[in-house]
Amino acid sequence: MNRSIFPALPALILLFVFFLFPVVRMLGFSVEGGTFDWYAKALGEQLYLRVFWNTFEIALLVTFFCLLLGYPLGFLMATTTPFWATMGFIFVLLPLWTSVLVRTYAWMVLLGRNGVFNRTLIEAGVITDPIPMLHNFTGVLIGMVHVLLPYMVLPIYSAVRKVDPAIPAAAAGLGASSFAIFRRIYLPLTLNGIFAGSVLVFVLSLGFYITPALLGGGRVIIIAVLIEQQVREALNWPFAAALSAVLLAATFAVYALAQRYSQPVETTR
Amino acid sequence: MDIKRLHRRHALSLLGGAAAVGATGSAFAQAEPPKPAQLVVNHSGGSMGTAMRKAFFNGFEKKYGIKVVETSPVDFGKLRAMVDSGNVEWDLTEIGGQDAIRAGKANLLEKIDTKVVDRSKYPATAQNPYVFASSVYTTIMGFRNDVFKNGSQPKSWADWWDVKKFPGARSMRNHPTDNLEFALIADGVPKDKLYPIDFDRAFKKLDQIKPHVTVWWSTGQQPAQLLLDKEVVLATGWNGRFYDIIKKGAPVGIEWNEGALKQGSFAIPRGAKSPYWANKMLAELAVPQQQAVYASELGYPGLNLESLNFVDPKVKPFLPTAYLDQQFWVSDEWYAENGTKAAERWNAWMLKKG
Repeated sequence: MNRSIFPALPALILLFVFFLFPVVRMLGFSVEGGTFDWYAKALGEQLYLRVFWNTFEIALLVTFFCLLLGYPLGFLMATTTPFWATMGFIFVLLPLWTSVLVRTYAWMVLLGRNGVFNRTLIEAGVITDPIPMLHNFTGVLIGMVHVLLPYMVLPIYSAVRKVDPAIPAAAAGLGASSFAIFRRIYLPLTLNGIFAGSVLVFVLSLGFYITPALLGGGRVIIIAVLIEQQVREALNWPFAAALSAVLLAATFAVYALAQRYSQPVETTR
Repeated sequence: MDIKRLHRRHALSLLGGAAAVGATGSAFAQAEPPKPAQLVVNHSGGSMGTAMRKAFFNGFEKKYGIKVVETSPVDFGKLRAMVDSGNVEWDLTEIGGQDAIRAGKANLLEKIDTKVVDRSKYPATAQNPYVFASSVYTTIMGFRNDVFKNGSQPKSWADWWDVKKFPGARSMRNHPTDNLEFALIADGVPKDKLYPIDFDRAFKKLDQIKPHVTVWWSTGQQPAQLLLDKEVVLATGWNGRFYDIIKKGAPVGIEWNEGALKQGSFAIPRGAKSPYWANKMLAELAVPQQQAVYASELGYPGLNLESLNFVDPKVKPFLPTAYLDQQFWVSDEWYAENGTKAAERWNAWMLKKG
């Protein structure tokens, strides 16, 4: 028993000291003075409910678009020649090593009223008035999908790589259409990757701060912004902790739900 | 240099009472706590840090042989966490005006040692026992002067609200402070009757301008950038940020009328490692000649009323202290009490459709 747990001990200690302990302390903050008033406020007031809902809505949309773009990309990278796979990796990973702030500002240059996209379209005569792509919901969505795409691509890539190429080859040899091969072989076998990528992207979206603040023009309010306000401006840490705890609980709930619905599919087919 | 020494002697004379009488320079030096290897000063960073180094830190290092370590950004939450945990990394920190007042009341700050820091040339409003007023800044209108040519820009908040006469996309700060006041002024409230703020009246007026504000900015650099990119033609912003791009030749102008004045503040966190030397640094920040150097760099003049005498006449038109009468002071005291309520109303208003 002891021997089996021993190798994991350093990691467990690290998690305990730097993750579990702070979370427990934070939960302690939220019920400071033995009262649940702050939870009542977080869950009772229209403002906070609306913002929680907004946050989840954005996270879901970002996850959806990341999956839509990330699955084909991950799939291609896993099945193409080594040269193109390497190129794919460079393009996926390079942004990951760039600061989120830099990437967000880059989008401001591209998407603005006088940005590269709008100017090109106007000069080409496609449109006469600039399309509002920045300082609104669209801008936030584009920026977040870009930042989070690697977290979707990489798990899917590794899941597709694990599929034994003999299986789809056999299916093709037996006359299965490419769609059937995808639906009956790749999809079930890569569900783990889809699940892992989606959870990663979804959870990371929930805590996003910089991109919505800069690309949303102030109109897109997410819960991280309100928590930050409570911590740094209002200095109301119990309330900030309560808001964080609600976000954490909701995240766990979504995670549990997703896991529950993803597993039966995997085992029965 | 001589003037600085004189200034120091002046501070010495302020020691007052029997203790100071007959105290020689060397006796004073003996009474000084030992010099630390370094003094940690926390500020907003960016061009402000560069200007502070040039105007104050280099001189301080040379004078006392104490290295000045700079950190950023300004963070009220972090300040409280430091003081609460007893692990105070900062000897001196910049702090927002209303936060400074709350921090003083919440016992998070050390009192300023007026024997070391000479504030005799400071206005009465800048004499808070816990807060050192380092500079003045103001939220004013920036405009594209290729769109609003020859002084045709809005000249009051009533003009700013008049979207027929002054068409074009606008940007304002994503924060209740300033905007509530601007709305009330636009609605006809006199500048000296703004507080206590009438929320309902202010938000009703803000409803009118909301569809014309394309960007609610959240970082200080945004308004300048938005004007440069022509994303908007009118933007409220901090005077120094506009001064910076105007210096570099941007087609941008400043309208100072009815601007919202605030003081930049520094304070010593309770439990700071070298409070005495932090006070010495504040004394350095109070020297009018050095404040003039700082003002020329950034456009943020100090509150030592003598400092304007040392500023290049070419820079003066870009300093908010040259237009004090046309502007109004934002009440840090009111926001210290009502800031949370204002923020909640603001968020709810922002979420409202339309």
